[in-house]
Amino acid sequence: MARPGSVTRLGRRLGDLFLSDYFVLYLTLAYVLVLVPFLPTLSNPANVSNILSNMWPLLVVAVGQTFVLTIAGIDLSQGAVIGLASVVGGALLAVGGSGAVLENAPLWGTILTEEGGPLAGVPLGLALGIGAMLLTGALIGAANGISIAYLNMPPFMVTLVGLIGIGAFAIWLTQSENIRPLPESFIELGKGDIVSVYLGAQDEPRIPRRQIFSFITYPAVIAIAIAIAAHILLSRTVFGRYVYAIGANRRAAEISGVPVKRIVVAVFVISAVCAAAGSILYSARLEAGRPTLGDGAFLLDVIGAVVIGGTSLFGGKGKVLWTVFGVLFFVVLSNTLNLMNLSSFHIDMVKGAVILAAALLDVLRTRLMRERAA
Amino acid sequence: MKILIAAGTLAAVAAIATPASAANICFAFQDLETEFWVAGHQAITATLEEKGHTVIERNANEDANRQLEQVRDCIAQGVDGIIIIPQDGESAVTIVKEAQENDVPIAVFNRPPSDLSRGIVVVADNASIASQAVDFLAEKALENAGDAPLQPLILVGDLGDPNAVGRKEGFYTAIEKHGDKFAAPIEVATEWDAATALANLEAAVTANPDIDLVFTSSDFLFPTIRSVFEPRGMWKKAGEDGHVVMGGLDGDATACQLIKDTYVDATGVQDLYFEADQALNAILKAIEDGEYAPNEVIADPGFALTSANIGEREKDMWGCVLLADGFLDK
Repeated sequence: MARPGSVTRLGRRLGDLFLSDYFVLYLTLAYVLVLVPFLPTLSNPANVSNILSNMWPLLVVAVGQTFVLTIAGIDLSQGAVIGLASVVGGALLAVGGSGAVLENAPLWGTILTEEGGPLAGVPLGLALGIGAMLLTGALIGAANGISIAYLNMPPFMVTLVGLIGIGAFAIWLTQSENIRPLPESFIELGKGDIVSVYLGAQDEPRIPRRQIFSFITYPAVIAIAIAIAAHILLSRTVFGRYVYAIGANRRAAEISGVPVKRIVVAVFVISAVCAAAGSILYSARLEAGRPTLGDGAFLLDVIGAVVIGGTSLFGGKGKVLWTVFGVLFFVVLSNTLNLMNLSSFHIDMVKGAVILAAALLDVLRTRLMRERAA
Repeated sequence: MKILIAAGTLAAVAAIATPASAANICFAFQDLETEFWVAGHQAITATLEEKGHTVIERNANEDANRQLEQVRDCIAQGVDGIIIIPQDGESAVTIVKEAQENDVPIAVFNRPPSDLSRGIVVVADNASIASQAVDFLAEKALENAGDAPLQPLILVGDLGDPNAVGRKEGFYTAIEKHGDKFAAPIEVATEWDAATALANLEAAVTANPDIDLVFTSSDFLFPTIRSVFEPRGMWKKAGEDGHVVMGGLDGDATACQLIKDTYVDATGVQDLYFEADQALNAILKAIEDGEYAPNEVIADPGFALTSANIGEREKDMWGCVLLADGFLDK
C-alpha cells in the first residue's frame, strides 16, 4: 500500500506537471504516442512536414491574439483583417488580371488592370506590397484599439463589428472574386523551401518530389522570427509587464501609472499586424488575393489554439511559448481527425469540445495556483 | 532549394503508389450544398467503391485553405490519385500544382481551374449548354411578342467560378442572335448564394416588374425565384396569363418537376453520369499507367431538356432520374 507521503508527493508532481509551461507539449507528445500505432501515417515524414506547414501561418495570427487575450480582451476582427490585407496585397502585387472575372469590382480599372497591380515589376515592389498589407493591419488595429481604450467600447463589440464590416468591405472591393496571378517571389513566402530533405538511399537519378520533404521553409522562418520577437516583447520588456498588469487588474494598473490606453491601442495594433502577416502567408500559399480568407471557422482555430496553449480568457496570464504549443496541439489534432477520415462536421465538433475542455483546464489551473499560493 | 539526402529508409517509401487494381482515391470536395454536388458525390463514391477502390473523403466546408491542407494530408497518406471539386477556379490551380509536384495524378470534377493546362479537367461546356437552353427560351418568348423589345433577366453565378462565366456567355450568345427583339438583359448577382440571390432579385423585379424571360445560371435558385415571383403574380404555368418564360442550367430534380408542371420551360443539362465516369476512368488509367501528371480536358457537351423534348430525353437527365427515385419526397 502506498504511504500517504508518497501519494502527496505524486499529487504534487502531477500538479507541477499540470502547471508546467510545457504541459500542452507533453499532452501533444502523449497524444501522438497513443495514436501512432493506430495511425502510422501520423509519423510519416510527409505528414510531419504537412503539420509544420499548416502550423506556421496559424501561429503568426495566434501570437497576435495572445497579446489581446492577455489584457483580457478579444480580437474577432483578425479574420477580416486577413481577408482585407489579402485583397490589398493581391491588388498591388498582381502581375496580371482578368477583366472577365473582375470587371464589376471597384478595384478593376482603378488599381488593378490587365497588366496587374501598380507594384508589378517595380523595384522593391514586393517589399512595398508587404508593407501595405501590414499597414492595413496596423490601421485597423489602431482603430480597434482607440475605440476600446479611449471610447471605452467593449472589445467584443468593436471587433465583431470589424469582423462583419471589414469582411464585407474586402468582398465588395473584389465583388468576392480572387486576384491572381501573384508574383513568384511573393508565392515563395508561403510555400518556398530553403532546405528540403530526402530520407533514404538514392536509387534513381531523379528523386520523386513526393519523397522530398520541406524542412526549413520561408513560412517557418517568418513565423519563428515573429514568435521570438513577440516572446521577447511580452516576457522581457516593460511593455510586456504592462500588458500582464492590465490583464490582471486594469484599474490597479492605471493607479500604478501604467499608460493603459496607449498599451491597449498597441496591443490591438500588434494583433492586427500579426493577422496581416498571417494573411501574407495564407495568400502566398493559396497564390491569390482572397477576400474570404479568414472566413468561417478560422477564428475558432486561432482562439482555440491560444486557449489550449493556456493563455487565460480572464486576462493576466499568457505566454507566446504556450501559444506555440497550443497551435502545435491544435494542428496535430486537426491532422489526426483528418487521418481518422472523420467528416468536417465531426472535426469541428471535436475541435469545439477540445477548446471547451481547454477553457475548463484554465479554470482548474487558476484554482490550483491560488491554492498553492495560499 | 537545397536538398539534404539522409541515409535510411522510412515509412514514407511505403507510401508510393500501389497498383490501380485496388487504388486509394482521395475525393476532396468543397461542400455538398446543392443537389448537383450531392448527386455528383454519390455517383463518384458509389462507382469507386463498387469497383473495389478505397475512397478517402474530405469535405472542406467551403474553405480553400482547408481544402489545400486536406489534399496535402491525402498526399501524405500515400493516395494513388485525387479527384477534387474545388472551391473555385483559382484554388484549383494551386491544388492541381501541389498534387502534380508530388507526383499524384489529379482530376478536377466539374468546376474547372482558371488555368486548364494542368490536370485532368472534366468540365461541362457551360456556354454551349446555356446557349441551347436559352435558344429555346428565346423562341418561346418571341412566339407571343409584340413590337416592344422583350426584357430578359439573368441570375448570374459567382464569376470567380468559370462555370458561371461560361453560362453567362452562353446566355448572351443566344439572346444577341435576336438583335433588338430583346432589350439589354438585367443582371442579378447571386454569388451562388440563395440569400444574396433573393435580395438582389427582389430589388431587380421591384425596379423592373415587366420581365419576359428569366434564366438562372443554376437550377438550385428556382425556389428563390418562386418566392419572389409568386407574391407578385409572376409564378404562372405555361399558357396561363402572366407566365414568364423561364429556364436554368444543371438539370436537377426540382427543375425536372417544374418542367413537368410547366412553370419552367427548359433547363441546360450537365451529363453528370458521363462526367463522373470520365473523371474516374481518366484517373484510374493514369494510376494504371504510372502517369503522375496527366493533363487532359474532357468536355461534357450536355443538352437542353425542354418542355418540347421532355418525353424523349427525361431519362438522360440526372435530376429526372433522382426525381423518379423519389428524391424530392425524401
